[in-house]
Amino acid sequence: MNAPEVIALSVFLGTYAFIMTEKLHRTVAAMIGASIVLITNVVSWEKVPEYLDLNTILLLAGMMVVVNIAKESGLFEYIAIKTAKFSKGNPMRVLLLFSVVTAVVSAFLDNVTTVLLLTPMLLYITKRMEVNPVPFLLSEVFASNIGGTATLIGDPPNIMIGSAAGLSFNEFIANMTPIAFLDLFVTVAIIYLAYRSTIKVSPEREEAIKSLIMEMNENDAIRDRKLFKKSLIVIGLVVVGFFLHDRLGLEPAIIALTGASILLLWSGASPEQALEKVEWATLFFFGALFIIVGSLVETGVIDAVALRMTGLVHTEGEAIFTIAWFSAVSSAVVDNIPLTATMIPLIKAMGTSFSPYPLWWALSLGACLGGNGTAIGASANVVVIGIAYREGIRITFGDFMKAGLVIMFSTVAVGSLLLWLRYVVL
Amino acid sequence: MVNFGELILRKFQNIAGSRYEEIVKAYQEFFLTEEEMKIPVISSVLLTIDRFSQEPPDELYEVLVSYKSATVRVVYIIDSALCTLIRETLGEDEAREFREKEEGLGREVLEKISRKLSELEMYFTTELIFEEKAPFVEEAVEEHDLLMISRHFGSESLKTHNISPLVFRIVQGIEKPVIVY
Repeated sequence: MNAPEVIALSVFLGTYAFIMTEKLHRTVAAMIGASIVLITNVVSWEKVPEYLDLNTILLLAGMMVVVNIAKESGLFEYIAIKTAKFSKGNPMRVLLLFSVVTAVVSAFLDNVTTVLLLTPMLLYITKRMEVNPVPFLLSEVFASNIGGTATLIGDPPNIMIGSAAGLSFNEFIANMTPIAFLDLFVTVAIIYLAYRSTIKVSPEREEAIKSLIMEMNENDAIRDRKLFKKSLIVIGLVVVGFFLHDRLGLEPAIIALTGASILLLWSGASPEQALEKVEWATLFFFGALFIIVGSLVETGVIDAVALRMTGLVHTEGEAIFTIAWFSAVSSAVVDNIPLTATMIPLIKAMGTSFSPYPLWWALSLGACLGGNGTAIGASANVVVIGIAYREGIRITFGDFMKAGLVIMFSTVAVGSLLLWLRYVVL
Repeated sequence: MVNFGELILRKFQNIAGSRYEEIVKAYQEFFLTEEEMKIPVISSVLLTIDRFSQEPPDELYEVLVSYKSATVRVVYIIDSALCTLIRETLGEDEAREFREKEEGLGREVLEKISRKLSELEMYFTTELIFEEKAPFVEEAVEEHDLLMISRHFGSESLKTHNISPLVFRIVQGIEKPVIVY
């Protein structure tokens, strides 16, 4: 191994170690790592634009601005109340509807914002129903991670994969949405079967909850009616833009940034406030990580690993299963963003032996759904368990893992099987 | 070994802490609190009136109708301290004249309210008394389940405050539910 290889590998492993042990904030760890590979010229300054995936970073930034402005209108609380009303106080309907709504919203917005906005309502209803809130919360978390798998913009790994592989929004819809839909159904069914005895409510109580929920007025949630309408229109246009981006020849990031600009202009929202709430720490984390992974590409470490992997994996079917399960198990313990950042060049390098197309979907599947495996596997898990803790509901690491691993194995199995059938058998 | 609860709360604080506070605050505007969830049993209502009180609006009667079996005690209060002050400063005749005018007004108001309550087939009693307003209400409400009071009760002619200071004092001091109209 030569010196640049040693530096690149040490920085990469060191950064991973800091992220996993949380000795340093993940952004700080990644920024220090990126600084080292830049200072030592492992990645030259001229090469930075090549590795810095601006499409991913700007798409995330644009969507963050849109969500930050839209949520001021009360749009998400409105959705939560509407969902509660549709459930009519029936526990099974609450479980199903909140899971479906969480998955759908997560498919278009970030998972953390989605669960942050829906969990208070879910807790309120389960408290009134006097049932065990844990299955409802778990189902919400799993649905959020599954919903994120469904689209190009649902989860950061998908944004990264889409950008690196040049996959369109519609390709994600065609490949990942059916899997996510089936996985959501499997998840809700498993949760219901596992917890059905603890979520029963007497008909009298159900009637009382129904009248309580029906008295809530979703219009009360709207804090700014004009902004509410404008946000709906802009989000609608952005989604339509995503569907059409490949036909228009526009990158998804341009669609998101245009949506953010239009909403900023039309709503008259303060740009300082809207931009202040952009998660800069996350964006810098992405940027730094791209440079660290770039150092592995630059020094040929990725090529060497890819060569080893292609030596072990002989067919496309094996590659699909290997990547899906490796990413899933790794994502359950490691942040799926660095994992995806590492896997992307690996799959590109493996592209000389296999068609990389199905492998991208296998990576998306594993990286997004692996997060369901453990309590710390995804940010949405931490947020929901954190809210539960604050409300006096204890979900232990073991509690989560018991359900999470079953869901993770079931959903990844269903997904990888579908990919195998589609790309290998049929 | 790291405590899992602490780990989650720390990570939660980093990812969503302040955002969650804002969201919960927004939800609190339309979530009923535990206290609001308990529907109080109302079997007797105290409705206090004085010369500054507004005429009870129809909405108030609608609320009263929902407590059909409750008894409504309507009390018109004339400020006894004011009567004493007039007698001591302006003389007995002026005090009598003031009292007669106040009583006339009180009877008129009570008659109006009685008519309305009779139409609604409510159980009620009426009284016209000379008392110090705030201490009387604070003491009398203890024997009732609900107080209804005008926001101008105990005000002055110009009604410079949106809610009179006397009503503020009463509302802050008593533990029974109050409807301020």
